[in-house]
Amino acid sequence: MTAENAVLIPRRSEVASAFKQQGGLVAAVLPIHYPRALLLAFNILPMEVWGPPRVDVSLGSAHLQPYVCSVVRNALSFILGGGLDVADLIMVPHACDSLQGLGSILLDFLPPKQPVIPFYLPRGGSQQGEVFFAEELRFLYQRLEEIAGISPSNETIMKSIQWEEVADELLARLHKQRGRLQFKDHDFYRLIRTREYLPAEDFIDIAQSIFDADYEGQQEGIPIILSGIVPEPMGLLKTISEFGARVVADDLACCGRRLYPAGRSEDPFFRMAERILGGPPDWCRGSPIQDRLDHLHRMIDATDARGVIFYNVKFCEPELFDLPDLRQGLGDLGVPTVSIEVDISDPLSSQATTRIEAFFEMIR
Amino acid sequence: MAEVRALGIDVGSTTAKIVGIDDDGRIIWHVLEQADPQVGKQVEKFLELAREVTPILSVPIEGEREIGVPLIATGYGRKLVHQATRTVTEITCHARGVFRELGHGGTLVDIGGQDSKVIGISPKGEVVDFSMNDKCAAGTGRFLENTANRLGVHLDRLGEVTLSTVEEVSISSTCTVFAESEVISLIAHGVATEPILKGLHRSLIKRVVAMIRTVGLRPPLMLSGGVVRNPAIPQILQEETGEEVIIPRHPQLMGALGAALIALELVE
Amino acid sequence: MSIIDSLLYHWNVNILSHSLLRLNIWLRAEISRASWKSKYLAPPLKISWLNKDLVTRHWLRGHYANQRHKVAWVTSGAPTELLKALDYFIVYPENHAAICGTARVAVDIMSVAEEAGYSQDICSYARTDFGTLLSGKTPVGKLPRPDLLLACTNICQTVLFWYRVLARHFNIPLIVIDTPFVYHSEATEHALQFVLRQLEQAIPVAEQVAGKSLQERKLKEVGRLSKMATELWLEIIERNQHQPAPISVIDQFIQMAPIVEMRGDAETVDFYAAMLKEVDERIANGIGAVKGEKKRLLWDNLPIWYRLRYLAEFLGENGVAIVASTYTNAWGELARYYDVERGLESLALACIYVILNRSTGHKLKTMQRMIEEYHLDGVILHSDRSCKPYSIGQMDQRDRLIREFEKPALLLEADHNDFRCFAEQQVANRLAAFVEMLER
Repeated sequence: MTAENAVLIPRRSEVASAFKQQGGLVAAVLPIHYPRALLLAFNILPMEVWGPPRVDVSLGSAHLQPYVCSVVRNALSFILGGGLDVADLIMVPHACDSLQGLGSILLDFLPPKQPVIPFYLPRGGSQQGEVFFAEELRFLYQRLEEIAGISPSNETIMKSIQWEEVADELLARLHKQRGRLQFKDHDFYRLIRTREYLPAEDFIDIAQSIFDADYEGQQEGIPIILSGIVPEPMGLLKTISEFGARVVADDLACCGRRLYPAGRSEDPFFRMAERILGGPPDWCRGSPIQDRLDHLHRMIDATDARGVIFYNVKFCEPELFDLPDLRQGLGDLGVPTVSIEVDISDPLSSQATTRIEAFFEMIR
Repeated sequence: MAEVRALGIDVGSTTAKIVGIDDDGRIIWHVLEQADPQVGKQVEKFLELAREVTPILSVPIEGEREIGVPLIATGYGRKLVHQATRTVTEITCHARGVFRELGHGGTLVDIGGQDSKVIGISPKGEVVDFSMNDKCAAGTGRFLENTANRLGVHLDRLGEVTLSTVEEVSISSTCTVFAESEVISLIAHGVATEPILKGLHRSLIKRVVAMIRTVGLRPPLMLSGGVVRNPAIPQILQEETGEEVIIPRHPQLMGALGAALIALELVE
Repeated sequence: MSIIDSLLYHWNVNILSHSLLRLNIWLRAEISRASWKSKYLAPPLKISWLNKDLVTRHWLRGHYANQRHKVAWVTSGAPTELLKALDYFIVYPENHAAICGTARVAVDIMSVAEEAGYSQDICSYARTDFGTLLSGKTPVGKLPRPDLLLACTNICQTVLFWYRVLARHFNIPLIVIDTPFVYHSEATEHALQFVLRQLEQAIPVAEQVAGKSLQERKLKEVGRLSKMATELWLEIIERNQHQPAPISVIDQFIQMAPIVEMRGDAETVDFYAAMLKEVDERIANGIGAVKGEKKRLLWDNLPIWYRLRYLAEFLGENGVAIVASTYTNAWGELARYYDVERGLESLALACIYVILNRSTGHKLKTMQRMIEEYHLDGVILHSDRSCKPYSIGQMDQRDRLIREFEKPALLLEADHNDFRCFAEQQVANRLAAFVEMLER
């Protein structure tokens, strides 16, 4: 059974135009962390832009040097090629030096027709960081007020946060129970990645329908963990299945690292800050490498994974800094790892598939 | 001649090889040719030749699937061998082939035309870890081939010419294209061919040594692949690592042999 | 530290260096000046030997630092005044890496890090640092082991990733001062407050490691010296508004070591005061860094450490001088934020308003201002593979410089420390074509 016939996965463009028809706005949002609830409280639908693959990269290459990663290059190419014309605003969270640069050149040199809104995610995990981030979100609120022309109350934002918390809880359940669902990896990730563009309510409906449906049994295949930024090109997941393996958990920036916990604070801005900063370990928040290692280790223990694939986007410096320690740390625990680098614009190279296949032969 | 019990085919980027082995896993038949860009055609020709020696299990001959021996395909063109019983990556096959030939584990370096790999092999012959060159061709045979062409040195004489000098210039570019322009500028400055060639070899080996270090050197060091025919490669590898370099009897056939050995297990 | 150790230290660092070492450096500098043969470039400043002496003694002290001080490794944009006031011995791994680059041993050292799995796509400073860490190889003798790490994200996020690796390697505390990027013209009030609160919280951590408490008086003293040195440095580089420019940017790259490494020391203030005097003498005597200066350029981004001489000579031969740079300017332009009386608050301002923490449009404005103030004819933008925050935006900055300011601008692909990314032939061709364009 494939995801298509189990549940209907709506397409991004359809979701966006339906949302606009009902009077809402659409925000194109770049990676990685951002306050989804805040946007939705303004009746703005966040539509995430992870790349995307298959765009005319020459557009972005006229403004970015060759050593900038394909996620950022493709995003710029997509914007310049009119791919985000449907959006009413572009939000650029600060995640790394390259996204910082992208946000800055969009503001200063290449202003698109929509407003560009950057914001900063604090590093270092201090209490001060949370205070700052709550303030940064209030600042964001003012910008969104100007754009949307409405001023949602604290109650409205709180309600929006609660929807997100329910959706995130279901998302976490899907992650955890994926082995018992009847989805191959490719379909599973298509399903959970709808969180990148569906309103929380719609995602909840879909997730609920999956849990309500009859499912049984256990997925077959060598259990592995996928770590990295984004599983693009998605063909990767088909390749993994074809070679007789399956992803049992992930440490992907677009998926597993965004399983945000529910907040506690009664103040909506603090609650959003708490949730985003309280997610799984991530270089983007400045988590120590040991925390990332412990997190991977816990995942391996919980899933009996036999190995970890580090699937990185070429030139992604933050991931590359952590890689030797993570591989060594896992190696010390007897967990084999392999590292693959890709440009998300290209189809998976035969060399990359050979590495993956050889890795499975090794751990089988 | 003993009976061929299993076949292995290795479709590489520079050469294609097929090997037939007997019950004991000895190579009793093989063909090695320059790679044909039309992979399908070459594979068909190889299999024709193989059928002269033995029927192949997975190819239905007059509707009888049970007759014949299994065939395993490896190498970058493995997926194009539709007649194969199964495909296995060259990592696993090389490890298997070399382990069979030399009878011990260690670190295997295979320098191919477009891929170079370093494979850590356990004392029992299992792959423990591996590393491959990145997308760029700097650590591969192609790197030398291109620049040797540029210098007008025939491939067969490459090693001999390289080892004929004690002088050496340093080549810093790790990119094939830039290395070529570096070479052009050295020629323009009147530097002789031999020291340039030696520098190029050193540069290639240094890339390979970096890969060895990422996997971790488990002695002994073993070397396979087409470049073994170039004596400068093992010599400079030895200089750079301080380890004696062991070369199996048929360095170019290790992938195909490994594939055949895995095929043989299917019979047993 | 025992009496013998202490005696040994004074003998080596103070007596030996004050006599033999200084004599040696002075002699070598004099010989090199006397035998200076370049037809196109003025000889090095007379003061150069003092710089060498300062730097050499700094690393010599470093050799013994673990026995005498707590040692902190810090990033180049970090508010080190706090640590200096707590008597830390301060090491800048970036500076050390640059020394390796200039000495052309960086690639040899960084390949050790690459063999340990660090990709060639990460910053070549970080790779050099990891290489030294793993192999002990360094041209400065020995790097003292850190007791504390201080990383400030105002120059890049890379330092955060880099220092997380160090924190794990040494198992010591890491203080992060996170400075929200200034996308618009001003930093927000809450961003400034955030930096200030982090500085406040850093103090007890640094005190605990140091085993002493921070004295306000000491902090003010360090702050005062820091401000004086920074102001002097700004004055020196601004002297280049004169034509011909008395000191090239290539020289500045070398002479800037103390302002980075020894900011807050009295010796540093003395050094720059003496340097300013010599620069003024040059101006009075009409001496330019490039003989027969015809064209004046701006340099953007980090130096190409392993090819400084080559660039100076290549351009000098054609009467082209690099007289201003956004990079050396960065260590001077913050002088106005230092306010000894406002203590931490002024440190927070100086942290957040570093050029690398400001927008790509702000950098363009800085370049445009410098073009006017320094009467420049063109710009070389070093597209530095290892420094994304400095480099991203350059393609549009170049475009604007050409279109709006009608100044020739060259994007030069290289790397600040990894000569494998420097394609000699390509660079030579581009530079030659660029010089031809300037002459048109």
